Amino acid sequence: MQKHKTNRLETTKLIGPMVDKHWSDLRSAKDRGEMVAWCSGPMFIFPYAMGMKCHFMAGYAAYAGGRGAADRLLEIAEDEGDLLDTCSYHKAHMGMAAAIKKGLPLREDVKLPMPDLLITGRLCPEMSHYAEGLYRRMNINVVGIDTPPPANESNVMILEKFCEAQVREVLIPTVEKICGKPFDYDRLREILAILKETCLLRNECWEYFKKIPSPWTLWDYGVSIAPVFYMMGSPDAVPYYTKLRDELAERAEKKIGAIEPEDFRVYWDGWLPWGFLGQFSRKMTSLGIVPLVGRYPWEFFPHPETIDLNEDPVATFAKQVYSNGGLAKQNLPNMSLPTLHKWIDEYHLDGVIMFSSKSCRMWNLGHPDFIKAIERKNGIPGVIIEGDMVDSRMNSFAQIDTRLEAFAEMMAARKKSVVDL
Amino acid sequence: MKNGAINRCREISENPYRYTKDWKEKTCKKVISCFGMHIPEEIVHASGITPVIAWRSDEPVTIGHSHVATFNCGLTRSFIDDLVKDKLSFLDGIAINRICLQTQGMPFILEQNPKAPYLEYLSLPALYQSASIKDYLIEEMKRFKEGLEKFSGKKITTDDLNNSIIIYNKNRKLLKKIYEIRRKNPKILKAKEMMYIVHSSMVMDKEDNNELLNHVIDELENRDLVTTSENPIRVITYGGLCQTVNTRILDLIEELNMVIVDDDIFVGSKYFAKPVKITDNPIEALGDEYLKNTPPCPTKGDYKTDWTDFLIDMARKNNAKGIISLLIKYCPPHMCYYPDIKNKLSEKGIPELLIEVEHEVISFEQIKTRLQTFAEIIQGV
Ligand code: SF4
Ligand code: SF4
Repeated sequence: MQKHKTNRLETTKLIGPMVDKHWSDLRSAKDRGEMVAWCSGPMFIFPYAMGMKCHFMAGYAAYAGGRGAADRLLEIAEDEGDLLDTCSYHKAHMGMAAAIKKGLPLREDVKLPMPDLLITGRLCPEMSHYAEGLYRRMNINVVGIDTPPPANESNVMILEKFCEAQVREVLIPTVEKICGKPFDYDRLREILAILKETCLLRNECWEYFKKIPSPWTLWDYGVSIAPVFYMMGSPDAVPYYTKLRDELAERAEKKIGAIEPEDFRVYWDGWLPWGFLGQFSRKMTSLGIVPLVGRYPWEFFPHPETIDLNEDPVATFAKQVYSNGGLAKQNLPNMSLPTLHKWIDEYHLDGVIMFSSKSCRMWNLGHPDFIKAIERKNGIPGVIIEGDMVDSRMNSFAQIDTRLEAFAEMMAARKKSVVDL
Repeated sequence: MKNGAINRCREISENPYRYTKDWKEKTCKKVISCFGMHIPEEIVHASGITPVIAWRSDEPVTIGHSHVATFNCGLTRSFIDDLVKDKLSFLDGIAINRICLQTQGMPFILEQNPKAPYLEYLSLPALYQSASIKDYLIEEMKRFKEGLEKFSGKKITTDDLNNSIIIYNKNRKLLKKIYEIRRKNPKILKAKEMMYIVHSSMVMDKEDNNELLNHVIDELENRDLVTTSENPIRVITYGGLCQTVNTRILDLIEELNMVIVDDDIFVGSKYFAKPVKITDNPIEALGDEYLKNTPPCPTKGDYKTDWTDFLIDMARKNNAKGIISLLIKYCPPHMCYYPDIKNKLSEKGIPELLIEVEHEVISFEQIKTRLQTFAEIIQGV
């Protein structure tokens, strides 16, 4: 079998220290007398605007998972009564709450400080259960913002209005009360400005997924996601993405691929397997499978050009969640499939991988039907890989490897038949 | 009917397909399946369409698994299985309420497979602290109403809605009465019979069901005891969201000398707990009921109302000695809540047993052993 080579990007080496700094600043926030919020969903931008330090549910779980610390948190949660099948992100936080409360031993680099406020943006009902569980265990004030995905385009505007009203009515007054000062709309605008610039650069980078060979992979984007999400507003965000864009441009110019040779270009659906990126990456690289685009990583402000810095910032943000955004709309049945059909052509994809997380049912319900529809319309194969983002017990790599190997064979057979025609 | 009313409830619960098809044939009415709890059925009823609560079949899921992964709740998998096996083709529509990720993901599958003529995806809000929650809820209910008007071709008036509410309230009252009869004399009804009775209400036209429930009450008034064990252990059950619980599990509880005196399950007291007021603004009245936080429901995002306290209170009022958690396997809202219930009950010294209710139960023996131990613990053996 042909040997494949990975060409690591120089820029992504910078992200580790940035992310570490984010979490260590959070850990030491209380020592500096700063307020802390724990959040699920995208609403942390509002406490950020008030200078609070924020923990973001999925970002933290990915961070802890990436550092191999998730199993310990899940173990603590299950000792406290949580069940194996419960969302592992939820459980990681219940484990953390128990560890804080009972002073259980835990690695320093994954510890979180006690929050002063819990905020939930209910994009997924479990994001709400997370805050409910924490409230019951830690008795800390909760602000809940319901942000349901729209059923179809007809209720996008109703939901946008609803989202905006809740932020104004509850979230802003609560952070004002906790911080003892009026809400800082100017800082909110500044954060939005940085977010806009970062996401515009990110979109330029995303375009390079179209190049053959692609100068970067979806994993590279995965590790670069923090500046367009839970590190939004950070002064490091724009320089990072500028450097990344320049490096990609240079690589594209020289036709350097992230993985060489690039045998199969694939779409990746669902969560990135944060706790196991290395394992997936090694296996896929050995088969010449290069993950490129995915609808989850694309949900983070895909249309930054619509962030209107002259508009009321709360309204602008609500639009990013709904009418101008991807955060709540990625679940729209009539939206995700057409996007995928289009991407398959635009990014010259050879197959689709549906990562079905056993403990998170956010993406997996439609996976087999997605594959059928793609096979019908685009004529490329798909595979479902069952596993979990951070729970090692739910990933059987013997099985995953076999599936990926069979999938590579399917893609090869199809490519051959297209050439033979 | 007098002696066969409970049996009729069983027939309907065991074969809701037949009842629904017959009903359609007899009345030429359309039927809409309501998937997920809390859908205001009265609005569907007021449009002249018969709402039925989505059920899970008794068959193991087969073809459905090529559309939905095994690690989803039984109702979701079974409903999709039925759908792709063409067993639900008599439905004129499906309305889903987003109460969990299963219901959030379902629309995609419904769109991709042969479709019912009417599909509606509702997102009734979480019970958070904000005035806009109510505004949005009313807007969402109005959207539901307008969609139904369009589909049925019938304008839904205030009177239509209030008439439906009256019929539904009557049904709630009758079910409540049956529960009271059981509370006073728990040995008069088997747990599975209680479930058949409530389930019949979920499947049948409500007026039809009201008549049947009156017969059930008559039957109970003349009934001999059906659970004959001496001094059975009084327990309550809770959980069982959205779907029927395997009746063999309920039988096992009774076989082990326990009697269910009350419950907080969906195909149980949760279903009829909240009568709706008759007012000039019935949509708002329906909204007000939805916004009530008792009985607590883990799907509603209400972090302030403590479900465990509610259960402790229910156990105390009924002099129950233990609580059985009927947790639908892979049901996230209950799974996420469960540790808090378990731990609080343990702190209070109230015996609790978790039974994960699977659609395809793998081992009744294991459940039996656990129930046996539970009964022994309660009795201090
Ligand atoms: S179920 Fe999935 S989307 Fe929901 S909180 Fe858990 S990981 Fe996030
Ligand atoms: S039983 Fe649970 S998982 Fe299934 S539809 Fe109901 S709430 Fe969702």
